[in-house]
Amino acid sequence: MNPVQHHLREAAAARLTAVRPDLAGRHDLATLDGLLAARADVAAADGEETVLVAAVVHRFDLDRWIRSTCGFALGLDPVRADAWRRSFTRTVFLAGNPLHLRDRFSFASVADDASAAWTPPGPAAATTGLRRLLRLFTGSAPLSGHSGITVEIPTAHRPAPHPAHRPPVRRVLYLAAADCTVADALVHLNHTLAEGVLDGLIAPGDRLTVRLLPRLAGVLGELERVRVVTDPRSPDRLMAAAGLSKAR
Amino acid sequence: MRVSPMTRAPEAGAPAGRPRVLLAPVTITPSKPLTPSHLKGLLWTDVMFRATRRLADVTYRCSHTTYHLCEQTLAFWEFLDRTQGDRGYGDATEEDIGRLYVAFRAEEGRAPAEDLRYYAAAVEDGWVHPAGERVLRLWTGQYAELGLHDPGLLRHQPPGYDLDTALERLDALGMCLDQRTLGGPVHLDLTRFGLPLRQLVTTDGRPNYLACALRELMPLAPEFDEVVLLYDTELDSDYQQLARVLTALGPSVRRVPIGRVPIDGRIRSARHGGWHDTHARALLDRARADHGEAAVRLGMRLYFIAVLGPGQQQSFRADLLRQCLRRAERMIASAGPAVDGTGTEPLARHRGDHLHVNPYRLTSSLLGTRRPAPGLDLLSGVFL
Repeated sequence: MNPVQHHLREAAAARLTAVRPDLAGRHDLATLDGLLAARADVAAADGEETVLVAAVVHRFDLDRWIRSTCGFALGLDPVRADAWRRSFTRTVFLAGNPLHLRDRFSFASVADDASAAWTPPGPAAATTGLRRLLRLFTGSAPLSGHSGITVEIPTAHRPAPHPAHRPPVRRVLYLAAADCTVADALVHLNHTLAEGVLDGLIAPGDRLTVRLLPRLAGVLGELERVRVVTDPRSPDRLMAAAGLSKAR
Repeated sequence: MRVSPMTRAPEAGAPAGRPRVLLAPVTITPSKPLTPSHLKGLLWTDVMFRATRRLADVTYRCSHTTYHLCEQTLAFWEFLDRTQGDRGYGDATEEDIGRLYVAFRAEEGRAPAEDLRYYAAAVEDGWVHPAGERVLRLWTGQYAELGLHDPGLLRHQPPGYDLDTALERLDALGMCLDQRTLGGPVHLDLTRFGLPLRQLVTTDGRPNYLACALRELMPLAPEFDEVVLLYDTELDSDYQQLARVLTALGPSVRRVPIGRVPIDGRIRSARHGGWHDTHARALLDRARADHGEAAVRLGMRLYFIAVLGPGQQQSFRADLLRQCLRRAERMIASAGPAVDGTGTEPLARHRGDHLHVNPYRLTSSLLGTRRPAPGLDLLSGVFL
């Protein structure tokens, strides 16, 4: 196996093991087949133990989306946040206008400009009403522009549960932009940012600079956290879809 | 924005200041024979139009131009040209064309959006595919035989708004979720009323019939006191949404769902064919073999309106239709003189709390055994 693929598999295995040690025990995560089997288990789980968030998307603007996603994750209470983390921050993206829904549904967070909203993490059944009213978000347009922007993580929210307050840091938020649609970007950023917040890599006052590169293989060494997915062009390969650099 | 010329159909000498009513029935795709379900809707709308016209200033709007733009129609025409090549349809019956339509609906896959672009542009310019025009021409003849008001089947009647204008106006009402710039569809967004999102334009830019209806009815609705929407019962959820939008533009909106007519206990979509001897041409030929024109017109109305009623429990029955034709014959023979000078009083009774006349109540009243025979003015003005 080439070293990059090896690195990606190890990163993916480490994420699985940290979140669900039980899965690591059931599958041989040292092999690609074992890793994919463990992921299939995660994807197939839809029982009561699965906790998910419904994100309502009205408009998409990359810097606002980053700020709002982090604001949502920073505002979660620790118990719910932990349960969501164990479900790998599973999120269903729905097309909708939060302004039309606020009277009927209680959101955990609504973006300042109402471009998006998030339900609290909970069982899938808790979002049934919302999912009946809305439709799955479709965003097949290619992601474009935005590389180089810097986003400051908001501070107006309840303090994050952990780690203890620390001075703000700067990181680079990488996204693999080749063949990346708006919908893909939502998914990759959602997991990368939410898990970054819940694990304390992103905190209020931090500054994230966005870099869109065709692929991320050349910058893996800079990354503290990498989101690894199956390469859509080849199911027997992994690819880095997004990542957070080490603190600067 | 384009504004189409409107044709109103007031009764001659109608006094000014009468309430204004718009009748907007769902259109039938001109790709097949008229089935009993279609006939029921047409007869129902016609009685409503001709009866209400005596009490109000009524516009009957049914523009095929507007709905040719639906994917269902454009894709059928693209299919015809792709599979039939250049040919004429002047000798084709509606059954011949209907068989091609069944083959089209059975075809797997969809024509790419770009293949339909030229068809859409041509329709916007007033073009109708020869197969569509042929069916509309055959229907025009059947409308005449049935005494149905022709709302302009063969006339170019473009909708007042183009698609972008309709979506802009919808957005101004806070009812549009347009995610085209993100590579998503356009939805009608009435979620604040608790109604689910309803797609209007697909991700690849194809508008559906509801988008066509909005292009047509949004510019018209503010001109009327009452808008009456007539449609198949199974379209009820879409029409609830349409009614919400139009209500926001001012008029009182009335929904009149009309149940379809099962054949041998089954409600079948015309896309599956199987119309055999129950389509309009066949029914008309059989009826006219034994009855005069006036009895055919009245008998069809008695059967499809009063006997079948608004629901869809009863299957089509040729024996009951024959009974109605005979009854119509007797009714015309024994018709009384005009009930009063204007002939409006018996109609106004059948309005309920709205402006339009309820065709079921009016037509059923003809069958009441204790009532005096209907006057000739009522029969000829509304039913013949």
